[in-house]
Amino acid sequence: MTKTLTFAFMDPPFESERTVTFFRLLDAALERRANVRIFAYEGAVALAFARQAAHGNAVHGRNTDEEAHPLTKDWIAALQRKAESYGLTFEWINCGLCVDERGVNEVIDGCGRGGPPDLWRYASNAFNTLTIGTR
Amino acid sequence: MSHFLFVQSQDPFTDARAARQYELAIDLKKRGNDVTVVLVQNGVVPARSQAVCPAFDELAASGLTLIADSFSLEQRDIASQQLKANISTGSMDDVIDAMLAGHKVIWN
Repeated sequence: MTKTLTFAFMDPPFESERTVTFFRLLDAALERRANVRIFAYEGAVALAFARQAAHGNAVHGRNTDEEAHPLTKDWIAALQRKAESYGLTFEWINCGLCVDERGVNEVIDGCGRGGPPDLWRYASNAFNTLTIGTR
Repeated sequence: MSHFLFVQSQDPFTDARAARQYELAIDLKKRGNDVTVVLVQNGVVPARSQAVCPAFDELAASGLTLIADSFSLEQRDIASQQLKANISTGSMDDVIDAMLAGHKVIWN
């Protein structure tokens, strides 16, 4: 039987090494054929913001394509595709209050809006849960 | 006996609480639990053989399982041959495997 793992994460994109580690964990969970549920709160609600935009790097003389700036919304979309290809579920809920505070309501498809009760539901129904706190 | 896995991202050179986190892992081990510490991000820094950190050395000598994340090592140009004794290398797979085995997984 496929197990479900829940992750709670609060770091914003582009600022912390924890964000990279977090996405590595999600990828590893899918590779181990686990369903994945994420509750994103505080700054992490911007990870799925649809209007993230890549940019060039004038200092290094690279245009947007050459810079290939990574965007977390694209990482989420890639994980969604991987989960689908494996026949797994990949659910993502942003804390609605945290979204409103930051004005990042426009999220990519497959990411929803909710609140702390969703984290409770996710954790209660998961085989295991990891909370990655920001110090 | 319970199974604990700590994801240790904090390092004792910049986070004073890291030493307390090491103590918790050591105490859990002393009380007969199965304890694994996975070093990630700057958490791998005290694992270098030339790093001077008595608190970490006590952790490494405590008999628990100590794993350094290969990705974090590579980012910091630390080769596995440069690690102190009793430390193996691993990846996020070790964390996920523990979660899927029902172990208590804690982020530090």
